[in-house]
Amino acid sequence: MTETTGVRGARMSHSGGTSGRPALRGGQGNASPARRQRLQAPGLPWILPALVLGVGLIYYCIGYTGYMSTLNWDGASPNPESVGLNNYVRIFTSDPVFWKAVWHTVVFFVVTFVAQTALGVIFAVMMHSRIKLGILYKVVVFVPVVLAPAIMAPVFRQMFSINGQFNWLLEHVGLGALVQPWIGQESTALPVIMAITIWQWTGLTFVLYFAAMSQIDQSMLEAARIDGAGNFRTLVSIIWPSLRGTTVALAILGAIGALKTFDVPWLVTIAGPNNATQFLGTYIYQMTIQLAHVGYGAALSIILLLVALAIAIILQVVGRERTREKKGAR
Amino acid sequence: MHLPFRSKKTLRTLAVAAMVGMTAVGLAACSSNDNQGSSGSATKGTVNWWGWTPTNTDEAKDFIAQFNKKYPDIKVNFKLIGISDYQATMRPALASNGGPDVFDLQPGSYVQQFGTYAEDMAPVAKSALGSDWKSKIAPIAVSGMTYKGKLTALPVGSTYAGTLWINHDLFTKYDLQPPKTLDEWKHVCQVFEQNGQGCFVQGASQEGFDQDTLQSIANSVKPGYWTKASKGKAKWNDPTMVKTLSIWKDLFTSGIMQKGALGAQQYPDANNQFLTGKYAMVMMGTWYTQYATEKAMTEAISAAGVAGAKPFPIVPIAFPDVAGNGNTSEMFGDADYGLAVASKSKNRAAAETFAKWIATTKQGQQVIANRLDTLPTLKGVQPDFTTIKFVDPSVQETPVTDLLKKVGSVNEPRFALLNADIENAFLAAAQSVGSGSATPQQAAETLQQAAQAAAAANG
Repeated sequence: MTETTGVRGARMSHSGGTSGRPALRGGQGNASPARRQRLQAPGLPWILPALVLGVGLIYYCIGYTGYMSTLNWDGASPNPESVGLNNYVRIFTSDPVFWKAVWHTVVFFVVTFVAQTALGVIFAVMMHSRIKLGILYKVVVFVPVVLAPAIMAPVFRQMFSINGQFNWLLEHVGLGALVQPWIGQESTALPVIMAITIWQWTGLTFVLYFAAMSQIDQSMLEAARIDGAGNFRTLVSIIWPSLRGTTVALAILGAIGALKTFDVPWLVTIAGPNNATQFLGTYIYQMTIQLAHVGYGAALSIILLLVALAIAIILQVVGRERTREKKGAR
Repeated sequence: MHLPFRSKKTLRTLAVAAMVGMTAVGLAACSSNDNQGSSGSATKGTVNWWGWTPTNTDEAKDFIAQFNKKYPDIKVNFKLIGISDYQATMRPALASNGGPDVFDLQPGSYVQQFGTYAEDMAPVAKSALGSDWKSKIAPIAVSGMTYKGKLTALPVGSTYAGTLWINHDLFTKYDLQPPKTLDEWKHVCQVFEQNGQGCFVQGASQEGFDQDTLQSIANSVKPGYWTKASKGKAKWNDPTMVKTLSIWKDLFTSGIMQKGALGAQQYPDANNQFLTGKYAMVMMGTWYTQYATEKAMTEAISAAGVAGAKPFPIVPIAFPDVAGNGNTSEMFGDADYGLAVASKSKNRAAAETFAKWIATTKQGQQVIANRLDTLPTLKGVQPDFTTIKFVDPSVQETPVTDLLKKVGSVNEPRFALLNADIENAFLAAAQSVGSGSATPQQAAETLQQAAQAAAAANG
């Protein structure tokens, strides 16, 4: 979206048009190209600090992490051993925990994205229906987004422990047979982590869908009604297709968020039991900090970075192609 | 708004200069500085002490107040860093010039990872206790703090594990005797369960405490084998370890271990469950002795979330002979922690004075001893029981004093011989066997592979 705007701005600038963006530069849209170039120069010092910070810190650190990934190093020794690409080879060929973490990330993304999207759309549609106490519901749905995971983690640890409130609730509603140590066994620990994440982030999904729905042309909805579409048909055929941009953006954010997942699994289950809630973020932390395999952790970080980039690009491309197809069909 | 740059050349020069400057700052921040600190005065200055223990800052303040009675011109600032954040915090801090003057170390991975940033404390110990200083300190504490021939820290206290602590009131209430065998342990837990009372609680998601239980079981199967394997003189996939892991599994299947143990942490989960009376037994070592006292027990119960805390007597018992081989499970221990002096410290002399006072003087060690949290390492110093008030002296005094006497002869290390990789492998073995995703044999094989890989990596 940003890129498209930039391209449009550049076109306007080259054409020397008088409307839109050139006017933002002090109404000098009619200046000659030479004059305009001289005027652009003072912009550089303004962006220089951000440029230097961006390149000097972010890209430098990425480059340095790439270098560290070729070392066998504990992060403290003055003489790290260069091992070339051995860390990467080990990760891909003989590290079952890495593949477990990758699998958990995929499952986590699919489940949380689908659930959050479904709940977000449902809540947004409900809130657009002018229900009573709508503002109160909006606050209730959104509050988990602003609560820090570090604050909520002990609550969830207590809630899902064998003597916790969740089991107490099950017992008191006649579902005592389902009582179990939710975060103390491999089969249920990951679903608990996903449930917590869904609880935490559905509010954001809801807000974005709510805003996107406000942009839908009212006449389209009225036309659908006149054509005899009911609520469900309107939702599926009019509202949902209009939310494609928001959905793609949420998918990208969700995928990158899944790759970066750390706080909830670490604070609630310490990535266990038996690596049942191990993610790439927690594994990098364990390797780098707890086990002092800084080179190996750096290699995991580089893989994480590349996967995040690849996913963002793929989702962007897929999103654009679908948008083009849609426009072509019209 | 215009900035006074007239030519591209000026702009480029400035841009390059800014880039070089920022990069240099970044590189300077990232690079290490091997400069040694300065010595300074031994009786004056400020000492910054970072550690995960004492976990209670009031306790640290008490140490410092006692120290300041003798050295009033040395100001000591204690910074408490949680054990879970300790490695992440200390690595960059010690590599920089802004780290602590004195920092905590414990045997095993900490000594191996951070010992390079510490002064050799052997000359300090010699100056304080004479040339035969080693004979005046608990030997297990000295060996645990020594790495590659260097005494990385002066041992302040030592801790020992291999004991269970029981809630005496609950055992009395249900007319039960402390278990001495696996069958008796199962029977005790059955009785508790029938009465809706939790039996044994362990935070099995943490490697250190899993190791304590596993080492205790191994000592019941074959005394001394664990230590032999830790030294690399025996294999972890030996039938002894397979049997050990089988008994560990039995604790889960027979109902001794509480449900959900694999997801629980020893602190705070298991500790709070025991202190609030929900469970009657817990696997803890000599550091738990402090809760035998009325004051510490009341504070601990209150901290566990019980309003109007009423203390109850806790009693240490020997780990049961779970293998049925007739072996008394030996205890094992290490220096609990020691005080290291950072080689980059600018107040090294004052820092050494502080570490020396706590670790090698009778006054300093008496303060440690009376806390009953960690046992003093200086020989001849004992807790002053005339000033310590038990919850119920009639049932606690004898077993507690017996325990403190017994540890004097312990010679099996707890963590000192294990590095972080092996400890991680223990956690994986304990959890995979406990959850049933691996057999004891498979877990033992994986453990041996991890030990071999760690040995190869460490040369």
